[in-house]
Amino acid sequence: MKISRRNFLKGSATTLFLAGFNFPVLANTDKKKNLVVIMLRGGMDGLCAVPIIGDKNFEKRRKDLILDETIKLNSDFALHPKLKNFHNLWQNNLGAIVHATNIPYTKRSHFDGQNLMETGGHIPYSIKSGWLGRGMKLAELKGDGLALALPMPLLLRGIPSNDNFYPSKKRLPRTELLQLLKSVYTDKSEHDLANMMEIIANRSMMSSGGTSMSRKNSSLAYKAGLELKKINGPRVAVFEVDGFDTHAAQGGVNGSHSDSLIEMDSIFKSLEKGLGPEIENTLVLTLTEFGRTIEQNGGRGTEHGYGSAIFMAGGLLKKSQVYTDWPGLKRKELFEGRDLNSTIDARSVYASAMSTVFDTDFKRVQKEVFWGDKLQDLSDKLFKI
Amino acid sequence: MKNFYRKVAFGLGPDEKVPSDPLEWAKDQLNEIPEFSWKGKILPEKELRNHYRDYVYGDRKVLRKKFKNDKDGYKREKNKLRHATGQKFWWNLELCIRYSEALKSETPVLAKLWYFWGNHFAISEKDFLAQYTTGAYQREIIRANMNQNFEKMAQEATIGWSMIHHLDNEQNIGPKSQEAKWAREKGKTKGVNENHARELLELHTVSPDCGYTQEDVIQMAYIMSGWRPKWGKRRLETGDVHFNPDAHEPGTKIVLGKKYKRGRKSLSVAITDLVNHPSCRKFIAMKLCRYLITDNPTQEMMEPIINAWEKSDGFLPEVHKAAVEVAFNYSDKYNKFQNPENWLLQMSKMADVDLIPSPSFMDLYKLGNKPIKDQRALERLMDELGQHPYLAKQPNGWSDMSEDWMSPELLIRRLVYAREAYYKKSGKSQTTEFYEEMIEKNYDDPTEILQIINQHKELVHKHVILFNLPETLKS
Repeated sequence: MKISRRNFLKGSATTLFLAGFNFPVLANTDKKKNLVVIMLRGGMDGLCAVPIIGDKNFEKRRKDLILDETIKLNSDFALHPKLKNFHNLWQNNLGAIVHATNIPYTKRSHFDGQNLMETGGHIPYSIKSGWLGRGMKLAELKGDGLALALPMPLLLRGIPSNDNFYPSKKRLPRTELLQLLKSVYTDKSEHDLANMMEIIANRSMMSSGGTSMSRKNSSLAYKAGLELKKINGPRVAVFEVDGFDTHAAQGGVNGSHSDSLIEMDSIFKSLEKGLGPEIENTLVLTLTEFGRTIEQNGGRGTEHGYGSAIFMAGGLLKKSQVYTDWPGLKRKELFEGRDLNSTIDARSVYASAMSTVFDTDFKRVQKEVFWGDKLQDLSDKLFKI
Repeated sequence: MKNFYRKVAFGLGPDEKVPSDPLEWAKDQLNEIPEFSWKGKILPEKELRNHYRDYVYGDRKVLRKKFKNDKDGYKREKNKLRHATGQKFWWNLELCIRYSEALKSETPVLAKLWYFWGNHFAISEKDFLAQYTTGAYQREIIRANMNQNFEKMAQEATIGWSMIHHLDNEQNIGPKSQEAKWAREKGKTKGVNENHARELLELHTVSPDCGYTQEDVIQMAYIMSGWRPKWGKRRLETGDVHFNPDAHEPGTKIVLGKKYKRGRKSLSVAITDLVNHPSCRKFIAMKLCRYLITDNPTQEMMEPIINAWEKSDGFLPEVHKAAVEVAFNYSDKYNKFQNPENWLLQMSKMADVDLIPSPSFMDLYKLGNKPIKDQRALERLMDELGQHPYLAKQPNGWSDMSEDWMSPELLIRRLVYAREAYYKKSGKSQTTEFYEEMIEKNYDDPTEILQIINQHKELVHKHVILFNLPETLKS
């Protein structure tokens, strides 16, 4: 292990520099930029996905879970060997990682943690909207959200009129019927219903053209990519991947954590395929409630932990890099003696991402989306601005 | 006015007469809690909790260790364990019981209010509570108390096993308690978990409008410390809820300015005070109006319900009657966008859709087997419609606000499942005459409705249009 405690992201110069510019909305609005968030439910193990290289503490405590044939990213970190699509992105400067990061939630309940990862708050259930929804509201992006899920995730709450797509296996009624309902809605001044029926009628025409109606994330992502590519299409998309809660049989390249990571990886691939060249104007981020313990448990799984990692993809990234203020894995460096610490508030990444993609001043995002919490502006370190 | 039948119930079915006095018809359903109309097997909560125990124990203590190097073996055996404990079956049975009250009972108004209370004291998605015990909790603690004072329901829901476990009160340990001391001696820290206390104040009784502070929440959590399932090696967290003085915070606590002594009794005394706080009845009145009448209830609407509460000391039949009367008085002025579950039940009732599998068919299920597809139809359908009643995402339950149910995908589900439902109807209800009569009975302007749906020839299309008209989506 060559890494020591580095201050990759600790510079306060950025914040000071930006402080002089207090435009409500920055001027660069010529290109349509997209933000995609993939929620990884169950607690994604950052140390399984992006293991540290050559750390004796790590190897000792996880001896049965250490992966063979990892993909080396740099002198300090490797990548889970099944994350092939992400590795492709990485090689093209379209993939990066923030490591040893998490939302500021240190207890270990999925239930509370998932609520907080979506609301961005501190007290479970005290906030009824999502940070992404509030960010979109700030940037006035009504009608620009797309959830690849049913019902609407909490993450997108806070702005009305989001779209969602999670295809039913059943056939839609014929177009004439939809048109009739739409005209009835219009006649009766039910404008929200009329707008939705318009979307549905368009969707029905598309699906008759043989578009795949699978609910697999890989095909949802392709579909989402095609929509995000459109100039008048959505600007924000949200995915969900389950199954990261691997208390048992997590280990190895084919362990249960791999299955969920592969699913995440398939989203990267399909999004890229759907987006085509528009991947250049897109930023994809992952979000999880917590990482997992360093120590393996009796079932060769891991328990609920704290620090994890964020995967980032897309052309709005500055370059391929593992960004971290690495806390170390010696016992005294661990959170409560057992978990990878979090040295970067994950919300700094999300706030910076929204500031960049929505062309909105970071300070406004910080103030209006995250209640003025102490967050770092990482926009110019991580993203092309 | 006819939307009243859908507002407070699920419309009028083909065999039902039009009541001569609609308001009395509704009020008469609210005095007693009749037997369930479901004639098949109904399991007690305790028995279902034992199945949950077997599942949790088997997975956590046996399979995870046995198959630590064998992911596929683990998955296979875990599936067997799921079936051995009925994980895929019980919640379907509970949905049968639940929906029979809407569709087959003499008291659909009571059923609609049952769903309200189940959602008020919501057990949201956590672990596998939905698959085993949530339905039973709603039967034994919520419905069984609908002819009691609100206080009794609140007391029982608060210390119900489902609620205590759902809101983590088992982790709520007084920082000065004996247990916290023992933990400190071992170098560990144990302390308060505010979750349940906060929801008791915010969601179940007084609501943030009463102006409680974070300190009130902490003090309430101290009062609640020690209430948890009796732990056992074999039963883990599934034991009956009891008060464990070792985990209880000593000393006097102050919530909303009132003092509470240490000990077992303080929780029940505090709940009594909370339910008698003016903010509590105001909050419940607002929620009832929001559920039945409009997203944005007015003070005028809430007033009669608050008055009934005050006169009757929160006696739920009186509160319900007042709410139903307000809904009646406002039925011409307001239409409420119906959530997917209520929408489905209205369609099933009015159009005579055979929604619920028969008791004899459900009772064919044998523990250990995988339930057959049609025994799982309801669970899947509710998931598809976007509102499985036992899987609310948060402790505040499913939303009563229209905008939360307005999304293209959710509307698509109503279109496609209206069509599916049509084919679950008996032949005698697949006639034009049936629809004309049903529309006459349930809608204020039958001529206009018929004129719209008659623009399509086939009956199935008429059916789909009818159940997606604004007049149906909003009642």
